[in-house]
Amino acid sequence: MLSVENLSYTYPGGAQAVRGIDFAIEEGEIFGFLGPSGAGKSTTQKVLIRLLRGFQGRITVLGKPLNQWDDSYYEQVGVAFELPNHYQKLTASENLSLFRSLYSGDTLEPAALLEMVGLKDDADTRLSQFSKGMQMRLNFVRSLIHKPDLLFLDEPTTGLDPVNGQKIKDILRQQKEEGRTIFLTTHDMTVADQICDRVAFIVDGEVTLIDSPRNLRLQHGRRRVTVEYHHDGTSAPTQQAEFPLDGLGDSDEFLKILRTNRIETIHTQEATLEDIFIQTTGRSLT
Amino acid sequence: MDIQRIAVLIGKDARLGATNFMVLYVLVMPVVLSLLIALVFGDLLAQTPRLGIYDASASEQFTRPLLDHPSINTTIYDSEETLQSAVERGSEEIGLSLPAGFAASLEDDSAEVVFTAYRWGEAGVRNLLLLESAIARAMTAGIGSSIDQLPVTVNAEQIGSANTQTWSQRLLPLLLIMSIVLGGLFFPAASLLDEKKDRTLVALTSTPTSLLDVYLSKTLMGFILSGIMGSVILLINGAFVGQVALLLLVIALGGLMSSSFGIILGSVSKDMDTFMGIIKGAGILLYAPGILKIFPQVPEWIGRIFPTYYLMNPLLEVTQNGAGFADILIDIVVMAVLVAVLLVLLNSVIGRQQQKLALET
Repeated sequence: MLSVENLSYTYPGGAQAVRGIDFAIEEGEIFGFLGPSGAGKSTTQKVLIRLLRGFQGRITVLGKPLNQWDDSYYEQVGVAFELPNHYQKLTASENLSLFRSLYSGDTLEPAALLEMVGLKDDADTRLSQFSKGMQMRLNFVRSLIHKPDLLFLDEPTTGLDPVNGQKIKDILRQQKEEGRTIFLTTHDMTVADQICDRVAFIVDGEVTLIDSPRNLRLQHGRRRVTVEYHHDGTSAPTQQAEFPLDGLGDSDEFLKILRTNRIETIHTQEATLEDIFIQTTGRSLT
Repeated sequence: MDIQRIAVLIGKDARLGATNFMVLYVLVMPVVLSLLIALVFGDLLAQTPRLGIYDASASEQFTRPLLDHPSINTTIYDSEETLQSAVERGSEEIGLSLPAGFAASLEDDSAEVVFTAYRWGEAGVRNLLLLESAIARAMTAGIGSSIDQLPVTVNAEQIGSANTQTWSQRLLPLLLIMSIVLGGLFFPAASLLDEKKDRTLVALTSTPTSLLDVYLSKTLMGFILSGIMGSVILLINGAFVGQVALLLLVIALGGLMSSSFGIILGSVSKDMDTFMGIIKGAGILLYAPGILKIFPQVPEWIGRIFPTYYLMNPLLEVTQNGAGFADILIDIVVMAVLVAVLLVLLNSVIGRQQQKLALET
């Protein structure tokens, strides 16, 4: 679906934002592009959506070199930016209708899209009266209006409350089910962990690691279990014990704790994506 | 370039432009000014020729037909001084002072008819002709003689400075520049600046719409508004006369020049404040030929320094002097060259805007 080989980009003025990165995205995959601010992820996305020209390297999208695409590229590609960009004097419905009329292929009804992100009742409200979260949801859903094969989403859950954030993640999973490929730029490791099939870490313009969140957790996590327990009938504080995950069933001490105490929590010591990012890049995400 | 998308964008711009105060102000202003000027200087409500009479002889048979004339406003004055004063300030275009015995001399075929006629220096030719014709008819009314048979001596006196142009005519160039240039310039600039402020420009160019489509739609919208405004101002001022096709050609070139300049200004301006600063600071260069035309004593060559002269001059030549294509060819060529230069600049500006768009997003 999308392959990037030895991509570099230098801004006018000489700042090299991307330094020879390589990655490929399969059809129907949700690919997370993770990195702190200034790492080069937005530059990479701008190159991929043809906003920035003059890159070095080879990019192939939908079977065709990127520099051979014309404006028909956007008939098959949907883009949602990090900041909302709507006509503030138009209503939500009018905004979607306007953008819908710019595509020549099959498109979705604005009402259906608004319902998808819980904005149906605000269809006739001017955008100037929308909160940032509402504008973000509209931003996101606008990128789906022409049923694109490939979606480029920049921080799609930023500024959303947990309920609406979950709604967006559910829609993304549904889009994946329908066969769409999604390139997701984010610094939110939780979102990436929950919905991405694979993630790439980018730091200082270089991709340092690409794998599935599960593999990364397994590779970088500690294979241990932590148990928090409490002696029944005593006023002693909660205690904690840690055991190796391998051979756990044969650990008499572990089994004894389970049998004789009130267990409060049991957790495997999987690393979070954020831990792995810090561990592998030596950098934090902020 | 996609015609359908450009049409969609023009529709959107028309809708959003209708709610933009600055755009509305620029479009309404020349029309309001035209109407005000016509009202103040009399061309709109006082198209009727104005005649004042001081009648020392009580010659009812002469004055009655003039007082009853449906196309003339006739006022009787009680002294020659008040009549002269009325003519001097332009309240009357012709003032007739009829001496004692005037009525009797009219009835006596052999007597010489003598009277004094004061003419307002700025009176229009049309009104003067209508008044003279009405006066001649009134003199012969009731006596059955032809005017040729009457021995008439008229002591004619002009009052006030002579000027063949009315104030409306003198202000027309400025109004034309305001309507065609500002109408064509403001809309594309304001619309583009709004897109930049709301970041919708990048949203549009992330669809199959190209930046060229966006720029073309705004330039076209400015061009259309400019054409409409120019035509409306000519119509209101009674100047949509002569070779209409030639007028439309000049307005079209002027509209293209203004809207191209407007979209370039909108593109290079950071925001609306910067744009307004440019207009306030350098706008005088746009109006200058129109302002200079108000003062006929200013040499014509000074106006030629300013680009808008080549829009204003051919319009005035056609509407006021009945000029044809050959007479205004040089102005048209200059304007076409200016349009070509602006279009080349526009092409370069679009390329730069594409880069800026990526950097500012």
